[in-house]
Amino acid sequence: MNQNKLLALLGIVLLVLITVKSAVYTVDEREKVIIVRFGQVLRYDDGPGLHFKTPFLDEARYFDSRILTLDSDPQPFLTKEKKYVVVDSFVKWRIEDALKYYLTVGGQETDARRRLEQVVNSGLRDEFGKREVKTVISADRNKIMQILTEYTDREARKFGIVVTDVRIQRVDLPEEVSQSVYQRMKAERSRIANELRAQGAEAAEKIRANAERQRQVLLAEAYGKAERVRGEGDARATALYGQAYGRAPEFYSLYRSLGAYKESFRSKEDILIVDPSSDFFRYMKKPTR
Amino acid sequence: MAWNEPGKPGDKDPWGQRRKPGAGGPDIDRIVKDIQQKFAGLFGGLFGGGGRGGDSHASGFGFGLILVVALMIWLATGFYVVNQGERGVVLRFGKETQITDAGLRWHLPFPLESVEKVNVEKVSTIEIGYRSNPRTGGKSKVPKEALMLTEDENIIDIEFAVQYKIKDAAQYLFNVRDPETTIAQATESAVREVVGKSTLDFALTEGRDQVSRSSRELLQQILDRYNTGVHIVTVETQKAQPPDEVKPAFDDAVKAREDEQRLINEAEAYANDVIPRARGGAARLIQEAEGYKSSVIARADGDARRFSQIANEYVKAPAVTRERLYIETMEQVLSSTTTIFIDQKAGNNLIYLPLDKLVPMGEAAGAVPYVPPLTEADATAAGAARNGAASRGRTDLRSRGATP
Repeated sequence: MNQNKLLALLGIVLLVLITVKSAVYTVDEREKVIIVRFGQVLRYDDGPGLHFKTPFLDEARYFDSRILTLDSDPQPFLTKEKKYVVVDSFVKWRIEDALKYYLTVGGQETDARRRLEQVVNSGLRDEFGKREVKTVISADRNKIMQILTEYTDREARKFGIVVTDVRIQRVDLPEEVSQSVYQRMKAERSRIANELRAQGAEAAEKIRANAERQRQVLLAEAYGKAERVRGEGDARATALYGQAYGRAPEFYSLYRSLGAYKESFRSKEDILIVDPSSDFFRYMKKPTR
Repeated sequence: MAWNEPGKPGDKDPWGQRRKPGAGGPDIDRIVKDIQQKFAGLFGGLFGGGGRGGDSHASGFGFGLILVVALMIWLATGFYVVNQGERGVVLRFGKETQITDAGLRWHLPFPLESVEKVNVEKVSTIEIGYRSNPRTGGKSKVPKEALMLTEDENIIDIEFAVQYKIKDAAQYLFNVRDPETTIAQATESAVREVVGKSTLDFALTEGRDQVSRSSRELLQQILDRYNTGVHIVTVETQKAQPPDEVKPAFDDAVKAREDEQRLINEAEAYANDVIPRARGGAARLIQEAEGYKSSVIARADGDARRFSQIANEYVKAPAVTRERLYIETMEQVLSSTTTIFIDQKAGNNLIYLPLDKLVPMGEAAGAVPYVPPLTEADATAAGAARNGAASRGRTDLRSRGATP
């Protein structure tokens, strides 16, 4: 009897628990919820915390309220100059309007992603097609991202989605183009290398030539000066001789000639063949004149 | 209060039965009372009702005991420890209620409250372009990430390390799904944007710091826009170099710069060698000339004085002096040479002179070397003398020393 009571009590408790479980639902900070009764949306804007609904009839459907990422695979896009660039981008998005989201994409994240991807892709294609590679990489990169964010956001709001950001993660050149970039970089470097070496040779040659010129000039100037100095010496000497000898030119001839004779014949190897009629030997014939 | 708080050993044990009122920390009795009050309405006296509804006092008591024990166990599951540097985020039915610091904490047990712990002190690292292996300490390259385009359409090989920590635990937990991937994506995007705005040379050399700084700023902006609750500590450029394919060419260009300098230095060394030598040579030429000048003048002066003095005496007795000089000279000349005396008038007979006997006396010893080791001056003087004493050429003057 007691046992039956206990069982009945347990049954009631269980029933109450199930009912309570069905009547209560919680919303996490990371979630949005939609309450649906037989396919009809009743509520969709409950904040985090504990909420009540009609048990068994109402159904809670949960969506992520955080920023989600759409990271599609890198894709080739044509730029204005008909070059391909491989672009890897990602989209940061968030479900803003859970009702719209539920109605338009059926609350399916994959569906939403697919739509976003289409929008972003066509946006990227448009923007890249308007610009050259260089602009895409540097100058307009930010602008493209802004334009795409705005554009994608506008489109996505139709699905109850807010696009926080569209960012270009990578812009790469296709492999074969990369190779030609490497070739160009190599050529550029070897041009620089050659230029540097040639400049070095040029500067070196200039320095050497300058040094040689200086040497030549120095030596020539010195030669010039030396000759001038010698000339001065010679002139002075000549003047001295002229002054001294000019006073007795006749005697100078004698004096100088005699000196020269002495200089010329002063070794036993010199042979003089002498005629006794020479004035020198006049006394050899007779002691008086 | 932390249960491991130092200095109060008596308070340390959270399971201590008797605690001073108001000592803080989890007090199970009080908490249980709190809960009963808090959720009296919610649970509509479910437990109490169950306890009172029992017919049998004994079974009711047993049932109640089980309930109390179960309740105690259930409540005990609400204890949690927040480590130093962590923050506990308490969620009540999924709604954030409080953020707790380090220590032993208690929350309403499942399913009422739950806690999520986030380490806000830990500095995490994201690597772009490479992955380091914590076990081996080695690095492996990720070329897909490391190779990026620069403004001048070159490709640079660059690696970054990003350090970040969580500044807001709640933001970190609730705002972004998969924050780590988000940080990695944002980093790569930011870095590439910054590098894309730099030229290759700039990013390789003086711009490295600036690239890191700008990347950090941009990355923080992006992450703040997503409300990730993440603080970027640093973005560091680990390596910035030309891609492997073109590295030899770059190295060669660097070498070329050295070569350029080397060539210039060599030339300068040459110039520094040549010019002073030339200056020395020039000085030598001039000194020699000065020496020549002085010596020529000195000699001329001497010669002139000597002559003047003799000339003075000559004027006093010209005939005798002439005669004397003549005889003295002839004497000296004849005595120092081989003299052959021939009286041509004695007869017209041919005189046989054994010249070949006489001359070889000189030749025997070698004509040229035997010519008494004359100096150039002596030789020219001798020549000049033969040509005639009147010759006054420069050579003549220069050989003045050879004259008597």
